[in-house]
Amino acid sequence: MTRTTRGRRRASLVATAACALVLGVAGCASSSSSKGGGNKSGPLVIGASVSLSGDFADSGKAVQRGYQLWADEVNAKGGILGRKVQVKIVDDTSSPNQVTTNYQNLINRDHVNLVFGPFSSLLTVPASQVAKRYGYAFIEAAGGGPSVFAQNLQNLFFVQRATVLTSGDVFADWILSLPADQRPKTAAYPELDDPFSAPIAEAIRKRFEAAGIKTVYKEVYPAETQDLSPVMSGLAAKHPDVVVSGTQAEDAYAQVKSLIQLKFSPKFMFMSNGASDPLNFPDKVGAANTAGIMSVADWYPTSDATGSQAFVSAYVKKYGGTAQQIDPTSAEAFACGQILEDVAKQTGKVDNATIIKTLHSGTWQTLLGSLSWDQSGAPKGTMSLVQWQSGKLTPVFPAADAKATPLSTKPNWGG
Amino acid sequence: MSRVGVLRGAAFFALVAALPSFNLAHWVLNMAVFVLMYAVMSSAWNLVGGFAGYPSLGHAAFFGLGAYSVGIWFEHHHLTSGLEPFYLLPLIGIVAAIVGLPIAMIAMRTRTDVFAIVTITLLFVAQTLAFNLHTFTGGAQGLAIPVAPFPVGTFERPFYYVLTILLAVAMGITWASMRSKFGLSLESVHADEDKARGIGVQVTMVKLLAFCVSVGLVAMVGAVWAYYESFVYPQFAIDPLITIAMVLMTFLGGRATLWGPVLGAVVLETAQQVLAYQLGGSQIYLVAYAGVFLLVMLVLPRGILPTVTDRLRQRRRRTSAAAASRSAAHGGITVPKGEAA
Amino acid sequence: MHALIQGVILGVLTAGVYALMASGQTLIFGIMKVINLAQGAMVILAAYLSYQLHASFGLDPFLAIPITPVALFVIGVAVEVLFLRPLRQGDKAELSLLVTFAVALLLEGVISLGWKTTYRSINTSYANSSWTVFGYQITLVRLWAFLLSIGVLVALYLLLNRTRFGRAVRATVQNPESAQLLGVESRLVSALGFGLGSATAAAAGSVYGLLYAFHPGSHYDLISLLLSIVVLGGLGSIGGAVLGALIVSVSSSVVAATISPAWSAMTFFVILLGVLLVRPQGLFGSPVRGAI
Repeated sequence: MTRTTRGRRRASLVATAACALVLGVAGCASSSSSKGGGNKSGPLVIGASVSLSGDFADSGKAVQRGYQLWADEVNAKGGILGRKVQVKIVDDTSSPNQVTTNYQNLINRDHVNLVFGPFSSLLTVPASQVAKRYGYAFIEAAGGGPSVFAQNLQNLFFVQRATVLTSGDVFADWILSLPADQRPKTAAYPELDDPFSAPIAEAIRKRFEAAGIKTVYKEVYPAETQDLSPVMSGLAAKHPDVVVSGTQAEDAYAQVKSLIQLKFSPKFMFMSNGASDPLNFPDKVGAANTAGIMSVADWYPTSDATGSQAFVSAYVKKYGGTAQQIDPTSAEAFACGQILEDVAKQTGKVDNATIIKTLHSGTWQTLLGSLSWDQSGAPKGTMSLVQWQSGKLTPVFPAADAKATPLSTKPNWGG
Repeated sequence: MSRVGVLRGAAFFALVAALPSFNLAHWVLNMAVFVLMYAVMSSAWNLVGGFAGYPSLGHAAFFGLGAYSVGIWFEHHHLTSGLEPFYLLPLIGIVAAIVGLPIAMIAMRTRTDVFAIVTITLLFVAQTLAFNLHTFTGGAQGLAIPVAPFPVGTFERPFYYVLTILLAVAMGITWASMRSKFGLSLESVHADEDKARGIGVQVTMVKLLAFCVSVGLVAMVGAVWAYYESFVYPQFAIDPLITIAMVLMTFLGGRATLWGPVLGAVVLETAQQVLAYQLGGSQIYLVAYAGVFLLVMLVLPRGILPTVTDRLRQRRRRTSAAAASRSAAHGGITVPKGEAA
Repeated sequence: MHALIQGVILGVLTAGVYALMASGQTLIFGIMKVINLAQGAMVILAAYLSYQLHASFGLDPFLAIPITPVALFVIGVAVEVLFLRPLRQGDKAELSLLVTFAVALLLEGVISLGWKTTYRSINTSYANSSWTVFGYQITLVRLWAFLLSIGVLVALYLLLNRTRFGRAVRATVQNPESAQLLGVESRLVSALGFGLGSATAAAAGSVYGLLYAFHPGSHYDLISLLLSIVVLGGLGSIGGAVLGALIVSVSSSVVAATISPAWSAMTFFVILLGVLLVRPQGLFGSPVRGAI
């Protein structure tokens, strides 16, 4: 008898909790849907989920700054088609479940008018699926891995000049453009095992091997590797002419530090990411050690592409620091907004269907240079080769972008 | 108890099954899908971690096993109705259980703390394998799964219903075992394994069975998850945080109870997703989450359900002292450790 | 062969800092039977503190070592008194896992609020200096880190073996009931013990910050490593923690240097599984109670 009573109380507790939750949730649903999005007169609300905590937080915040700065700038000019732009940023904690939930919430609960992408291909894939399902254009600044374009989504536009797979091409182009006697004979490839790092080095390796540059060392190391000295000492023992590093950020700094400690300085050194970070790279490895290291970028502080200098001064005004310290990721995020402005200017509309249709043709001028996309959303351009010269990240190749001639031999460590 | 229990369960599942018909918004159903995933997994974990007292931290390895099974299968097969991955679930569950058997035979030679660490070790071994066996898993590049061809308007429903069925299975198993010799054996393993062996309980058989059933269920959830997300990356599919979530939810709701893990999943998963969405932008999310967590642990140290039922019982005791006192010690689902011994 | 020896050298030097982190963890377990999942977060917090001391006052992280442990000692005592003491004795072991995990999240959140989520590293003037001895590379910072870790471990050993407090701790570890009968105030020992374990984490954190870049989420990587070390050595045994750290560190760096870093993480997990199959209580653990 007592057992039954006790059980029933427990049941009623569970039921009450469940009902409260369902009602609470449903209540929110109805209240927010009554406010209703999709309106044509109020502010233009753009939702984006970026990683403000977790593994991708660092870059996620650079994306956030870019989106936010663009919104401020466009609002100062009177908004888009007379509508104020409001950017709603939420945190996905670097988790795929949360990113799915966030785009669901942005689209179906808060009824934002448009969405922008998150940071990292890992999160872009599930997020873009949600956007696709509800017919939203998916303009994203930071998901360029092969998996993103393999989805062939049609509504996705990757706002950088090249994909991960093609971003290293420009370095291979430059090396292979050198006279035969100046080219490296041997190459080493230390690669971080993630979808955005190793593939860049691998793409370069294929071209180098085809051109007869011998691979003397190749090692793929996992993301949580704290200590790169075993890898780098193995590499240094082979004395390669060129080191092609598929790196992300911390591992790039660790590679450089390790090589300095090993007192091995290769003739050419290319790092896919990390070395293109104008703020952290010199800070972490020491400014004097950066000299001659190459990377790729689609934006650099001295760029004179459309709106680039205006972006630089607005950025420095809002966030402080100097032009040299701006993370290119912020510029790429800013470019997402520029594209949107142009679509509105050209068509007089900013609905998702128009954006998707319009962006599939023509080329678009942004602070990254001109962009155009294929059906899967992969950009058709190429990156610029940048090199650290006297403490500054300087574009050196191709000639059209170049602001200086490339140093064809990396100076020894310490400049 | 029995009749009421069945009625209660039936009412609960009727409510859960009916929910999508209320035309709930997609975002509500999406959240419900994640809550159900964790409810199934916590219930499954509860069999090993709650009843048998073996706090496994390696269950996410089996979640990953399920996820990769779907991924690898559909590299070679096509989707037509979109329900094919669901038909595959029982097979995935069985495979996971078979894989789990030798692992359990080895790991369950250790107890509590050490068992927890052996199993988390297993998880990292599984993750390393997922990263390095490129031919099967695609390594860090991940594995794409065909996108479910369900209509937009009802996209989440098949996932929701399948997970509801899995929850019914998990809770059904829990319920049945609580009312059978099996459940009693599990509890005796928890209370004092050596003594249980001494009095003739089939200790090894019982705990191995619990482990295999448990990981089988978790693998099935992993498969559904992979299909829902349409992509498998090793760091997400085999993530210690998945296991930790199962443990936290079970403890929060009340371990070794039927409804505790479900309640824990509802509270915690909703809280987490809502807090990250609402507060994430202000960076306060983690602090808020941890704060709520610590508060609950201090106020309700044995989990919500047992503590609340205890309080209710105490209140009733004050009003009708005589009836409650004897049956309470044996009654119901939870046998608090102190009273059991 | 060269790679192998280089791997061993690196492994031994790195083992010092792991041993330091793990000895705090194992000490806490020995005294309280609590597995402190916040140990990694405490290490990271200390790394941030010494980063800040370096950035604001130019204080060398090695000189910060007397400062950060004091701060973490206070935090440790507070955690014990506020969150662990109220737990019921019966399920303390299991619940403390949850509570300490929540503390880890809390610390991670506080660090994110205080220092943002960017990666940090402490760059001293000597960060890139190294010597070549018989063709093998030895970096200055690693050698210092190793010597310092040994120094702190020796101090910890003396504290436990030569002081009244140490005797009380060891008595509690071996037999809490009789320790109480002998007049050991177990609540005080628990609080001070937890504080001491946290202080050890702090010393390790200052060293860790010198060797590696870190961010608020770095503690997830640390904690699995620490748990493996502690269990391998035997829960509650400081000697075991040192040996465990040595095995873990040397095996993984040798595998990284000779085979591939991709398999190095797996190596010590496999060793751990192997050891536990033969000796479920770990290398130095006693089957019943820990011994320091």
